Amino acid sequence: MKKIFTTLCLVIILTILTACGNESGGGGDDQYVIRIAWWGSQMRHDATIEVIELFMEQNPDIYIEYEFFDPDGYWTAMNTRVASDDVWDVFQMGGNFQQYIDNILDITPFIEDGTIDVSRTDESFLNTTYFEGKMVGISNGVNSNGIAFDPALFEEAGAPLLHADWTWDDFANSAMIIHENLGIYGSSALSDFIALTILVTQSGANFFDPATNSTTLGFDDPSILVPYFEMRRDLVQAGAFPDAGRLATITDIEGDLLVTGDAAMTWVASNQFITVANAAGRPLELVPLPRLTAGGESGMGLTSSQMLSISNASPYPEAAARFINFFQNDEEANRILAGERGVPIMSHIREMLSENADENLATVYAFVGLAGELDTGLGNPLESPNNPEIRDHFEFLLEQVIFGQIEAEAAAEDLRDFAEDVLARN
Amino acid sequence: MAAKIEVEKKSFSLKDFIQKENTVGYVFAAPFIIGFLAFTLIPMILSLYYSFTDFNLRGGDWIGLENYVRLFNDDRFINSVLVTLRFVFVSVPLRLAFGLLVAYLLTRKAKGVSFYRALYYLPTLIGGSIAVAIVWRELFSINGAVNVMLEGLGAAPVNWFGDPRMAMWPLILMSIWQFGSSMIIFAAGLKEIPAELYEAAEMDGANKLKSFFKITLPCLSPVILYNLIMQMISAFMTFTQAFVITGGGPMDSTNFYALYVYRHAFDFFNMGYASAMSWVMLVIISIFTVIVLKTSKYWVHQN
Amino acid sequence: MNKKTIKKITYHILILAFGFVMVYPVLWMISGSLKDNSEILTGSLNLIPDVFRWENFANGWRGFGGISFSVFFRNSLFVAVVSTIGTVLSSACIAYAFSRIKFKGSKFWFGVMLATMMLPFQVILIPQYIIFHRLGLVGTYLPILIPNFIGRAFFIYLMMQFMVSIPKELDEAAIMDGCNKYTVFTRIIFPLLRPALITSAIIQFYWAWDDFMGPLIYLQRPQMFTVSIALRNFADTTSVTDWGAMFAMSTLSLLPVFVMFLFFNKQLVEGISTTGVKG
Repeated sequence: MKKIFTTLCLVIILTILTACGNESGGGGDDQYVIRIAWWGSQMRHDATIEVIELFMEQNPDIYIEYEFFDPDGYWTAMNTRVASDDVWDVFQMGGNFQQYIDNILDITPFIEDGTIDVSRTDESFLNTTYFEGKMVGISNGVNSNGIAFDPALFEEAGAPLLHADWTWDDFANSAMIIHENLGIYGSSALSDFIALTILVTQSGANFFDPATNSTTLGFDDPSILVPYFEMRRDLVQAGAFPDAGRLATITDIEGDLLVTGDAAMTWVASNQFITVANAAGRPLELVPLPRLTAGGESGMGLTSSQMLSISNASPYPEAAARFINFFQNDEEANRILAGERGVPIMSHIREMLSENADENLATVYAFVGLAGELDTGLGNPLESPNNPEIRDHFEFLLEQVIFGQIEAEAAAEDLRDFAEDVLARN
Repeated sequence: MAAKIEVEKKSFSLKDFIQKENTVGYVFAAPFIIGFLAFTLIPMILSLYYSFTDFNLRGGDWIGLENYVRLFNDDRFINSVLVTLRFVFVSVPLRLAFGLLVAYLLTRKAKGVSFYRALYYLPTLIGGSIAVAIVWRELFSINGAVNVMLEGLGAAPVNWFGDPRMAMWPLILMSIWQFGSSMIIFAAGLKEIPAELYEAAEMDGANKLKSFFKITLPCLSPVILYNLIMQMISAFMTFTQAFVITGGGPMDSTNFYALYVYRHAFDFFNMGYASAMSWVMLVIISIFTVIVLKTSKYWVHQN
Repeated sequence: MNKKTIKKITYHILILAFGFVMVYPVLWMISGSLKDNSEILTGSLNLIPDVFRWENFANGWRGFGGISFSVFFRNSLFVAVVSTIGTVLSSACIAYAFSRIKFKGSKFWFGVMLATMMLPFQVILIPQYIIFHRLGLVGTYLPILIPNFIGRAFFIYLMMQFMVSIPKELDEAAIMDGCNKYTVFTRIIFPLLRPALITSAIIQFYWAWDDFMGPLIYLQRPQMFTVSIALRNFADTTSVTDWGAMFAMSTLSLLPVFVMFLFFNKQLVEGISTTGVKG
């Protein structure tokens, strides 16, 4: 007993000593020290750190301190830093960047003076990170949403294969046919709020009004929202779409119902297609989202899956810009990053990566190319700082409709009123 | 104040001063008081102030009672309070009962008791990890172990996470499952009960059950009171289980108040509104705590 | 076999059977550390993996960008040990003030202490961060460690309840023998509080080990990360996650808390016969 106790004490003392002896930060006097943060999983952390080290090797005048997080933790950490004016010099941002617009530096000067080289990309890609006259960052990868499906299951069920110009009615019909003939779900989870806002665009309006920078709603008549509520309710009640209990068991995209063979379609952001297809181990195909009417407005657009932005409180914005340039344009760096953050916007990087690309990567590149052609040019009609609150309320209403607590019409009206309230309050 | 006047009357003596009850009290309580003033008081005041503003990360303006008015018209907030109360009233008594029962069974002088106690403490150790969230979802999924067991018993399978009336139960079961901390505290309390009392009761012919009610429960009542209050407060604050397992759904049936506060504070950036919610709940929780403390004199035996 | 043996055996069987049900999810997690992603996610409830993937441990241990789990374990151990010592000592002092000393305002401060538990961390987090930021302490372990030296309501109140059962006559006798209020604490109360101290240490060690929010926002360099943060860094549900590696490291992270429990629990069992207070 005594022995164990003594050993324990020794271990403790040693830990304390070593842990304290390890407080030294990096960076010499003649170096710019910049801090950078991102979220992701082990693979992304490893690759990003390797790129940072490569950059520091080639740019000895810059020292980079880095922090990485899981996706939930990142935003908690970000918010505490915003509240105390202590934001990192360079940080990863997603579609919610408007929330942090006051902390983001306009990088146009660095593009103009050539610090960030954008000669090998084009307007439609750059526009994904352009907002209110400000260049808020450079996209790490662009995306477009689509539906991935398993052609073999479609054939087995006798459902017509999906193609680029299809409708929400086709979606519902295919789901029903597959469910009736194979006993599995027609489709796995949809990204409901994005689907709803795209449906509004397809109806000839916009969920948020682009003319007021999304500070008001872009539609009046709630009846254009009704079809979506009804479709989701009917599919769940028929058993062709998973209910809340089944959806809760999907842990991540590798465990998606399409991967496990329990559904024949699923919603993916284009960069997720590769993961889904690899995990499924069966040939899958990717088509754009359904439309309201065949040949009608597609509502599709390119979005930046995430970007690197510079803090407007950064003491060394130029050093930060040099890192971003390296991150976007350096071939060796991008060989390490391997396009894991989305389809790269620089043409030479895309070419380099497609040299030894497999079929799935080629599918994604072709898809993003198609989305670029169909791009509505509205930027992202979805983006409003109030998105999370409105989306949360929409999902609550959707569940109420599915459980038969309220009618679709009432839910549509409630959603419009709620969204108006939220926008008016902020 | 009184101490000061007394000091002035007598000639000042440092030694006397140090031995005064008030001095001793404040010396020993100093870590808490200093820590509270330095690190907790300001955040508390700030959050109270925020509750009268529309504070988000970009700043905020004074809006008076608007947040509080909005709260009482927010059906989802009222629902979250009811959901939390339901959780507290079901999970806390069960958790304490289990903790006490297992602690009692494991105080016998039998071989392996130490090992058994470790076994029963293990679930508590994996707490709010992502791993346990995944395990729990698997166990209660449609084809999960729990349903397989139910079917074996001839009952119909339950759509645990898909049915708003049932989704609370996996969370309650998880809370009961992690009774380890209460168990340890009960076990320590049981050790303090003098063995002579049991011996005397046995001489009087009392059986195990009788001596449990006549000796164990009364002697343990201060510890029971303690566990009741602490587990109640922490059950009111339950966040992690709902956050990692159900996300509040379906249809807000597990939207605990702490989760709703988090949503507003960190997802929707309504820090002012979230603060108002927290202060309303602080009042509700203190009312329950005071009720328990006031009634305790009828059932807690002080020596 | 006599009746007593049968009774004994039933006792052990019942305890073990119920114990197995209790730890089944834990065992599932441990077996998950040897499975691959698809086996974990398709909900197989088997405890024996199809193929034993020991490489999960190597993949997990490697950590992130060259910082291995040995660093995270050392950091966690440091934080947990220091905060356990701090919490137990400070809570004992504060509990003594509240339960044994009649000082002005003790009721008020006791109420304040309970109230501090009732405000959710979600609304305190940001103001607290601002304070530590102004003090220039963000990026060090101090914002995580300091709050442990100011006592924790959970343990203060626990120790108060235990002091209730220590007879006041003991204090009075000690004062007759020349003790003062300070030495009564160090010589009488503190030693007699042993079961409560051990209990607090067990629980606090685990809490500090498991704490996530504090380390998440205050530790700014990966070299300082604790195990609980590192574990979350495996998972990105919108991208690729190595669940096997995460389960492997989750399993390893159980070990120190479990060993600590066994150690203290033994103390708790041994402690009874010597300190039993006769009321």
